[in-house]
Amino acid sequence: MDTPVERPLRILLAKLGMDTHTVGVTIIAHALREAGMEVIFTGLKQTPEMVAAAAVQEDVDVVGISTLSAGHMRNLPKLARLLREAGAGDKLLLAGGVIPQEDKALLTEAGVHKIFTMGADTREIVAYLRGWWTERQAADAA
Amino acid sequence: MTKLSGPIRAANDNLADDLARWEAETRGPFLSSHPERRDPFVTQALGWPIKPLYTPADLEAVGFDYRTDLGFPGEYPYTRSTKPNGHRSQFWTMTQVTGFGKGQAWAKRARYMLDQGLSGLILEYDLATTNGYDSDDPMVEGEVGRAGMALDSLEDLEAAFDLPFDRLKYLMSVCNAPQPVNLAMIIAALEKKGVDPRDFVLHIVNGILIEYTCVGRYIYPPEHGLRIAADCIEYIIRNHPNWAPLSIIAAQLQPAKANPVQEIAFSLAIACAYIDATLARGLTIDEVAPYMNHFVVNVDMDFFEGICKLRAFRKCWARLMKERYGATSADALKIRLMTSPTTIALTLQQPLNNIARLGIMATACALGGALKAIERGYFQSALGREQYERNRDLEEGRRKWVGVNHLTLPEEKREIEIFRLDDAMEEEQVAKVRALRARRDQPAVDAALDKVREAARNGGNLVPVCLDAVRLYATHGELCAAMRDVFGTHAPDAQLAGV
Repeated sequence: MDTPVERPLRILLAKLGMDTHTVGVTIIAHALREAGMEVIFTGLKQTPEMVAAAAVQEDVDVVGISTLSAGHMRNLPKLARLLREAGAGDKLLLAGGVIPQEDKALLTEAGVHKIFTMGADTREIVAYLRGWWTERQAADAA
Repeated sequence: MTKLSGPIRAANDNLADDLARWEAETRGPFLSSHPERRDPFVTQALGWPIKPLYTPADLEAVGFDYRTDLGFPGEYPYTRSTKPNGHRSQFWTMTQVTGFGKGQAWAKRARYMLDQGLSGLILEYDLATTNGYDSDDPMVEGEVGRAGMALDSLEDLEAAFDLPFDRLKYLMSVCNAPQPVNLAMIIAALEKKGVDPRDFVLHIVNGILIEYTCVGRYIYPPEHGLRIAADCIEYIIRNHPNWAPLSIIAAQLQPAKANPVQEIAFSLAIACAYIDATLARGLTIDEVAPYMNHFVVNVDMDFFEGICKLRAFRKCWARLMKERYGATSADALKIRLMTSPTTIALTLQQPLNNIARLGIMATACALGGALKAIERGYFQSALGREQYERNRDLEEGRRKWVGVNHLTLPEEKREIEIFRLDDAMEEEQVAKVRALRARRDQPAVDAALDKVREAARNGGNLVPVCLDAVRLYATHGELCAAMRDVFGTHAPDAQLAGV
């Protein structure tokens, strides 16, 4: 087997539904790019179907959803299900934005792997992704 | 006994010379043993340097003239106030935003707010409505009734307007991109309730240009967006002269990280676009300007800059109207300011601090402004790099924010009841609009929608044809789609430059 070539992590950032609040996702996109990751942004007004299809087509490692308009309890579980159905359940699914503490357990159960809410430090998010990516690559190489 | 009043030293004729002496003899030696805490001291929003002391010499240096540069309250250029007696004759008006769930839920909340003493309300719609979709459109699944009231047809407004209109005298409606549809629906609902439009003020925000600039709830390309906004303005001026057809929401620029100078400049430029489009309909500036002078402005924690911003707004508006447009009537020269504390300054962490923050911001509003609305729950869109840099300043401690990066209490527990919308609401709303479509006079609706397409194509005013269609229970989403057939949609890529 060839030695795996080390490549940067690819992440798809997306906004679901009619939520047009983009300050958070803009900050995250800049921080991840600065940390050497490949960032693809879907643009606004996406359905879970559109995001799942883009994640598969772009062959990303991580899908990150920014949500600030209270639609998360419906559209995040739906996206997690669609990713699994598309055979892309191994992609890391992240969410960030205005998500009440009380909703986290249900979202985790539905397949969201990690949730960063208001006040999350971008350095903490970068460190988390780097850690996950190192482990994932090691697991893939094994 | 020694007399304590009077100058200790003989006054110099030239204050600037005295100041230089003070610096050399008094402040200078003090500084050598007491260095300043910060280098440099700058204003919060603009980063302008702050001197340790200001005297009349500073005004003299810039050639300040009290009469022309400041003037008296209630007189041109209205810097200090558009009213001659400040708040001593009457207080500012207070309004609040509300909107969630179905029409019935809004009516119930609105009645409660009227019972608490409000006489005006601001109605917000959900994101399905403001983006031009009906509740059963697959694009908006999960968002029905969440960020505001769901509005699909005249039925929903009939339910929402189950109100004592003898007490509700002012309603502001926030539905920018689909404005002619929304205006028509409200007119039809008021007719059904038997409300005399002369005895009630409907204020439509009609703020499509700010949506393109930094909010994102647009549907059609900007040229068509401005045209339909002008249709609504013209319709109101000609048919309901006591109503208000526009607000310039400068408050959206501030959380998008525009500084106060950009905020005033951009929002006046936006006002000019509306004015020019309306003047082209054959009205004069003295007729038009009193309908274009309502600005909603946020005040942040930068207390003095917030006050100065409101004063600058009044002066800039008066001069713009007089010098660029040749306005002469006092009503044209006076801006109307609605101000609110920015929600961007508030934190989820250690939320009791928000009380002090709101107190400081509301005080700046009162000192600088005239009208005040609390809790505009808006957000904004990308001014990419700058937003990232501001965030880095916080993360790396160059800016302090209590509870976020300063004096944080990680162990603090918060027990706040979160507002939850009943999940069944969306299904009920979807069923309601589908049932409506099944029972109405479909051929008549189709013909009315064709009339809307025709007006969109040939440039006729869209409000009357929308009014005919909503009376037949054509839905909000159908009417928005009919215009989309002609105008096309605004490519969202433009939004994303900053990401």
